[in-house]
Formats: sequence, C-alpha cells, structure tokens
Amino acid sequence: MSVLKLENLSYTYQGAPIKVLDHLNYEFENGKIYCIMGKSGAGKTTLLSLLSGLTTPTDGKIFFKDQDISQINKYNYRSQMVGVIFQGYNLLPHLTAAENVQLSMDISEKIFPDKVRHGFAALAKVELGEEKATRRILKLSGGEQQRVAIARALSYDPEIILADEPTGNLDGETQEGIITIFKKLAHEENKCVIIVTHSPEVAKAADVLYELTPVS
Amino acid sequence: MYILKNSIRNVTRNAGRNILIGMIVLVIAISSCIALSIKQSASQLQTTGLSKIEITGSISVDRQALMSQAQDSGTDMRALMQESESLTLAEMQNYATSVNVKDFYYTLSSSMSKGTGLEPVSTDAVTTAATTQTQPTAPTESEESNKAISPSGMGTQGDFTLTGYSGENAMTSFISGTNQVTSGQLFSFDTADMTCLISEELATFNGLSLGSTIQLTNPNATTEVTTLTVGGIYKTTTATADSGAMRFSTAADPANQIYTGYNTLNAISGQSLSVATLGTDTSGNQTTTALRTQESGIYTFSDMTAYENFKTDVTAMGLPSSYTVTSTDVTNYENSLLPLENLNTFATIFLVLVLLIGGSILVVLNILSMRERKYEIGVLTAIGMKKKHVVFQFIAEGFIVTLIAILLGTGIGAAVSVPTANALLSQQVASIQTQEESQQSNFGRGGSSSGGRPGEQATVNYVQSISSATDITVVMQLIGIGILLTLLSSCGAMVFILRYDPLNILSNRS
Repeated sequence: MSVLKLENLSYTYQGAPIKVLDHLNYEFENGKIYCIMGKSGAGKTTLLSLLSGLTTPTDGKIFFKDQDISQINKYNYRSQMVGVIFQGYNLLPHLTAAENVQLSMDISEKIFPDKVRHGFAALAKVELGEEKATRRILKLSGGEQQRVAIARALSYDPEIILADEPTGNLDGETQEGIITIFKKLAHEENKCVIIVTHSPEVAKAADVLYELTPVS
Repeated sequence: MYILKNSIRNVTRNAGRNILIGMIVLVIAISSCIALSIKQSASQLQTTGLSKIEITGSISVDRQALMSQAQDSGTDMRALMQESESLTLAEMQNYATSVNVKDFYYTLSSSMSKGTGLEPVSTDAVTTAATTQTQPTAPTESEESNKAISPSGMGTQGDFTLTGYSGENAMTSFISGTNQVTSGQLFSFDTADMTCLISEELATFNGLSLGSTIQLTNPNATTEVTTLTVGGIYKTTTATADSGAMRFSTAADPANQIYTGYNTLNAISGQSLSVATLGTDTSGNQTTTALRTQESGIYTFSDMTAYENFKTDVTAMGLPSSYTVTSTDVTNYENSLLPLENLNTFATIFLVLVLLIGGSILVVLNILSMRERKYEIGVLTAIGMKKKHVVFQFIAEGFIVTLIAILLGTGIGAAVSVPTANALLSQQVASIQTQEESQQSNFGRGGSSSGGRPGEQATVNYVQSISSATDITVVMQLIGIGILLTLLSSCGAMVFILRYDPLNILSNRS
C-alpha cells in the first residue's frame, strides 16, 4: 500500500506561467528508498515542496495514506508525518544543534520519555557527539550542519523522510554513513525515504528511481 | 509550554535587540510611573484629604442662579433678590433634620451703634491688626439712608458687629485658634445672661476690663440702649493689613466684633421689636426702627459624601433652586489643590505624549525586528509550527522584555517620582503665588495679604509636596500600559507572521 500517491500532479509557477511539473503519477511505499533525479530546473525541489505540504499543486492531487493532503492540517502533516531535510538546512542559528533537534520534537507534540536524551541520540546517529551537539549552529561546519538537519528530520520519528541533496556537503565517508542511515530507516524501520539528488552514489542505494525531465 | 521556554531562550540569546526594546520600554515606564504617580497623588489628596476633615456648609441665596433666572424670564434681578430672603431659623433647622447632617449650629448677627462711654476702634485713627473671619458674620453693607429703612433692607450700619452664637461649635474662629480668650470666660449659651466677649484692642481703647459694662444703641433708634457686661476678653492671633472697607465702616473692623450668646442677642432683638415704631417712607414702603438682625446656619458633615448627599436632600425637602449649599472648607481645600491639579493636567498630557511617541517607536522597532527575523519565522513554520504558536511566542517574548523593563522602570520611577513631582509642584506653587502677588500689587494691596475684611479668605495654603506616590494602583496601571504596548507593538508583528509564506521566505533566502 502506498503511503504517498501523486495523481496527475501538475505545478505552474504563479506570476510567470511556467509549467514545471506535468501530470505526474508516482507512488511511494513504506520500506523503500526513492531517488528523484533530473537536470537543474526539472522541478525536483518543487516536487519536494509539494510532497512536504509547503506548497499546493495547481492541478492534480497528493494522497497521504489515501487521504488528500489538501484536506489535512498542513502544520500537523509537516511536524508529525514528514521529516524534511532542506537543501539549505534551515536551522536556527541562535540555537545549539541539540536545541534545534529538540524544538522539532516539541513542535511535533509527540510524547517522548526523555526528550533531551532522544535528541542527543538522533544527533549521535549522524555521528555528532555531545560536544558538537551543544554548539550553536554557526559554530559547526557545513557538513555538520547538514547532519544536524538530518538528525532534526529523524528526531520525531516521521513516517516519510524527504531529503533535498542530503549528502551535498559531506565527504565520502560521511556520505556513506548517511546512506547507511537511510537504508536502515527504510529497510529496518519501514520508513518511506524520498531523496532528491544528483549523486550517483545515493542513486545506487535507491530501491526505485524516478527521473524528472523538464516540461517542454 | 515549549513556546514559553523558547521565548525565554530567545530573549536571552538575542540580548542586543531585546536590550534596545527594553530601554525604550524602560523610558516609557519611568515617565509613565512619574506621570501616574502625580495623577494618583492628586486624586488621593482630592478624595482622602476631604474625607479627613470635617466639612461645614451653609445654605445661601444663589446669585448666579438668580441672574440666570432673571435673564431667562426677563424679570428684574433686584425684584428676584428681594423675593429670595435669607432662610429663617426654623427653615434651616428643618433642613438640619437630614440624616447626613452631623451637627447644626447657628448665629444671629446685628450691627449696633456706640453708647455712652464706648468708642469703636477707629481705623482712621489707628491702623490696627485685623483678623480674618472664617464664619458668616454680620452684614457689612451700609445704607446711605439713616432713618428710612425698608423692611427687606439691612437697616442703618452701626459701629459694632454683635454676633450671638448658639453653642461653642459655632465659634469656629475660636476653635481654629484665630481668636483666643485671654481673660474671663465665655457667656452663657442657654440663657440671655447679657454678657459678652470683646477684643483686647477694644478693651484697651476704652479702658475696659472684666466686669465692666458697655452700652450699645440701636442704630435705627438711638434711644434704645442695651447694656452688656464684659465677661471675657479675646485676642486675635492672625494679623492682617488694614482694609479699605474698614475705613468706611468700623463695624467691619475685627477689633469691633463683640461676641455673645444667641439668646442674649435674640432677647435684645425681641426687646427692640416690641418697642419699634412703624412708618412709611416717601416711596410708600413700610419702615420699622426695630434692630436689624440676620440669622445664619452652619451645618457640619462627617465627610464629603454626607455633604454631597445633603445637597440632594435639601432639594428633595423643598429648597428652592434660588438657594445653594456651599462650603468654604471644600472651596478652600479645592483651591489648595490648584497647583497639584495643574500638575495633574500636565502629567496627563505628558503621559499621553509618552505613550504615543513611545508606542510608535515600539511598533516601528517590532516591525523592523520582524523583518530581521523573517528567516526564523520561515523555518519555524516550515518545520510545522503553527502560525498562531509563532505569534504567541513572539508576543510572549515582547511580554518578557516589557515586564522586566516595567518592573525596573517602576522601581526607578517610584524612587524619582516624589522628588520630581515635588520639584514640579513647587514650581507650580511659586508660579501661582507670583501671579497672585502681581495681581494684588496691581490693585495696590501689596504684600502677600489677601486683605483683612472679615469673611474674606486668607491666603490659600497650597499643597506644597506629596509624600508617597507610587502605590499598587500605579503598578497595576503600569502593567496595564505594558500589556497594551506589547499588544499594540505586536500587532504589526502578527500581521507579518500571518502574511508570511514559509516557502517564499526560505526560497528567497536560498
């Protein structure tokens, strides 16, 4: 059974009437890694924004477990059902890594026995120890910030992980570690992992590959 | 709960911005605290001050009302005045039955001429000290005509003012200490003992001592002689300058005030009435040679509320609209608050300006702050924080900063409000006194005296200082201002937050 389903999904930018997505019909299931690839301007990030509920399709529908997401509270959907790893990380610079993670857990309103410990555990998963976890975001390197963004998306245990170039700033060894985490999430924890990437290494790890082509 | 935790963390993590906003609120808080403290003091003095003093009042003809009535109806004001005679003792006693009246006393006043062996202290010959009378006294207006007296007129002016009191409470000038019995004793209030109190000056002027007798005559019929025994001599403690009025009427000179019991004067008046000759003047008006007297009633009230209620009571009891209830205590007290009231008005304007200017600055600062924090709003909403929670978090941050600044401001304001208010108050008092002195000087009176005519008010003792100003009411008002300012300044922020689309913010930043 698909956890996410696109039905004739189209998207046209407002203002400049450029169609970036045209009648997409994809299905995403739990327990698999999906990679969405394509050239720049093919609409990969737009698709991710649509899947995360940050924007609404101009045509067609997205179903989350057979429920049209336009009928679901977008804030609850974003804070509980999906974990988004943004390309620009979108972390709060005045908070520490651990506080950024804990804030997402707070916003999800899910109950955790020990929120602080759970937050640190999420950071430890992406190989960020307690010392790094208590640093403010701007005191961390680009790669470390990216790992914090991943930890934040995993922290509140969402059913779907949406990642936009999640390994873009990581070295080969760390990239491998992250791919392992995604595999574990999909294959062991039965999550649906959707990754937008240019990286052939990440694409190799995918169970299903979707290729987006620019709308002519 | 996490929203509040987040707010507190944000306040401490963005210290620079919050200190800036806090300083603006601090300035507003200190200024508002001073202004509110002044207003609170003025209001407290106005209400509690009057509640602490016993209020005396009287019923008299309302000339203003008569004038309006005359103008409205087109009738002659003089005719209306003559119709509105002073209330009789019985009428005054009737109004005294009101439950709001604590005590009622009355005086009878008359003007009498000198008899054998008694000369009034003359202001032409001697510039004498005079006292300021604080109670209704004898009529001081003189009539040109010597013998032809209209029944409604006041009769011929004598050399002395004879006042008869119903009781000790009525002798307010002795209660206040303006006059003081130096030898002898008071006359009887219960019987017509024909004894009196005379001033030290009159005694010295005529070589009188205790037990001496003085002879007074009816100014309308000089053959009517009354003999009184000097039972006591009093001195006045308040010295005032010579008054022009005293040059024309010796009866107006406080040294020529003779005090006796109501019953004594009533007996003299009754005797005069029994032997009075009736006649008709050239205009056809009926005349009499009876001694002219005037009764005055003084009501005392335990507090301001009772005084105000009495005003309603007398109207209900049938007091015509041409009469009014007045109180010199209330008027004097209200006059003494004049500088404070001026300061109160100034404080109100100052407060409004501070709130307007300070509030505007805060709104602008908050809007700028929101623009600066656009990214934060975008991130929070992108990770699923509801907009209303974001708004609540930002308002909570505003409240924390405002509350700290208000508390600090209240502390500083409370410390500086009393000296500041007193400095401003003394300036006000000085300004009003200079204005008054200048006015007096323009009329050739000079000095700081307000004149020595009996019944005229002494220089007002203005409220010169306030002691404690910042109380719980002021603190509550300041917190109210804080809440208002936070909500007002957050309005802009709310609009921004509600308008922002997270994707736009984040993609624009990218």
